[in-house]
Amino acid sequence: MEDVILEIEGLSKSFGGLQAVSDVSFSIGRNEIVGLIGPNGAGKSTTIRLISGILKPSSGTVRFKGKNITDKPVWDIVNMGLASTFQVVKPFRQLPVAANVMVACLCPRAKRHGEWVKTVELRARDALEFAGIADLALEPASVLSHGDLKRLELARAIATEPELLLLDEPFGGLNPAETSMIARSLKRLHKGGRFGRLHSEGPAMLIVEHKLADLMPILDRVVVINFGRILAVGTPEEIVNNPAVIEAYLGKEVGNLVSGS
Amino acid sequence: MGHYLRICYHVIKTEVLEVPGRVIAAMFVIALLAMPLFISQPYVLRILTLTAIFAIYATSWDVLAGFTGQVNLGHALFFGVAAYAGAKLNLSMGLPPWATIPLGGVVAVVVGLIAAMPALRLRGFYLSLVTMALPIILTGVIYIFPSFTGGELGLYGIDRLSNSVVFNYYLTTVIMLVSVYIMYKYTDSESKLIRTGIILHAIREDEITARASGINSTRYKIMAFAVSGFFAGIAGGLYGHYMKIVGPSTLDLFFSFQAILWTIFGGMTTIYGAVAGVYILYPLVEFIRVLPHGEDVRFIFFSGILILTLLFMPEGLTTWVRDKIEIKCPRCKLVNVVTRRNCRACRAPLHLEKDQLGQ
Repeated sequence: MEDVILEIEGLSKSFGGLQAVSDVSFSIGRNEIVGLIGPNGAGKSTTIRLISGILKPSSGTVRFKGKNITDKPVWDIVNMGLASTFQVVKPFRQLPVAANVMVACLCPRAKRHGEWVKTVELRARDALEFAGIADLALEPASVLSHGDLKRLELARAIATEPELLLLDEPFGGLNPAETSMIARSLKRLHKGGRFGRLHSEGPAMLIVEHKLADLMPILDRVVVINFGRILAVGTPEEIVNNPAVIEAYLGKEVGNLVSGS
Repeated sequence: MGHYLRICYHVIKTEVLEVPGRVIAAMFVIALLAMPLFISQPYVLRILTLTAIFAIYATSWDVLAGFTGQVNLGHALFFGVAAYAGAKLNLSMGLPPWATIPLGGVVAVVVGLIAAMPALRLRGFYLSLVTMALPIILTGVIYIFPSFTGGELGLYGIDRLSNSVVFNYYLTTVIMLVSVYIMYKYTDSESKLIRTGIILHAIREDEITARASGINSTRYKIMAFAVSGFFAGIAGGLYGHYMKIVGPSTLDLFFSFQAILWTIFGGMTTIYGAVAGVYILYPLVEFIRVLPHGEDVRFIFFSGILILTLLFMPEGLTTWVRDKIEIKCPRCKLVNVVTRRNCRACRAPLHLEKDQLGQ
């Protein structure tokens, strides 16, 4: 690929004696949606947290837009254009849903890159509409269900106007209809059609997810991790037919299901 | 002209008179400003002047502890440093009060930041313990250099604010009202003027999520620390010029705790709670002092009130009263009088369960 936005080299992380991620290297292009899949405990979430700066790696480097961001604080990375969501959602529970997103709209990057004709409230409302929870804008975040909190997390991440979006299980807790709706929204966002208008370009994405049937159609490339190491990299078709991946993660029947859909 | 008056009347009628909390606040401000017309005893005005100074001080503690979660047990550090700095600037350089009070505030912030920079890395109890130690250390330093600081006697002969009791009262009260208004706006999560309040709320709720939203949480915490210290310093400067003497008692540990007690009595994380707490407790305790045996029983009385408050109104007096007289609309989240049946803006029924029971 010609235009690389994120480059990871030899990323490793150990928690005490447990080697969670070891020597992971891959890169993401500016116009790609990349899936990061693997069995439970394979180190997918840890990888995402290492890239977004919430955890610091034991060794290895992360380069975003050509700059080394390995040792930068989380907020600097977000303000460079790399936003991430959490697997376990942590909203500001006492604040209204709209205020949760407004905090992200108030970060320096969103102030620079956001639509300046709009107030912070309107921008937050836009992000909530994208995630499909604009009707809950005034409710405190503590009353939201788990699925709605996942959408809030997504709205908060895109409100920072990212160039690369790291999504940790964005479909977790959503029912099948909602899952396919969010998947289609993500594809549209990536094409630059955010909120129904054409932006110059949408963000690249790295998505960790288990619901492969909905995920595979929107992916350009898949990275499979097992036991903290990269097992395979390739297009969705290559991955579902890769015997090592079927053995480790997909299983025979699921493999057929995904390739069949 | 008539047009603008009509707009004013409309705003007051729909936005102030409909919300009991705002009515109480407006009545409080009017009562404060009208007080000297009805009361001429200098002693009462003196108590009220000191109350205004302590109201700034207690509110500034609430900004730090209530909104960023940094429980400062040595808040008198800012107060004392500003009082001493103002006194020193006034005595040795001859600067007038209007210059020494803000400069004292700035000095307090600088000293507080230098002292607390290592401490701000700490969290929770550890931060509190370090902040408690700082004014104690400074008290020791004051005793070591009596030629510069006046030692136990303190610095005296400072210029007074003005010669008129009434003017002193108005000056401190107006400064108090303006400072409290600024701090209220600074921490208000619904403010459209200054957007810091919502970020401070977010940082207090979950710092990691705030950071993942691109907010430099450390910077906001230090900023809140500086704002809090500056206003505590303003209070300290006013105190020094009003009392005309600054002693080590301004750095006293009990004085630090008093800000906490006043604020917890009035209600933490509300700003107006701290003001209410000071304006109720301080004059009350001073009033008991003039009664027979008052000097002995006033602290027993003070502690008794606090224990009762914490037992029956654990979130403070103002929060308790607010929940009794105000209700939030379940649909549009606007504040309404509890006696209304429907929301003043969206007409949604306010007491849903009660209405359903009645049918």
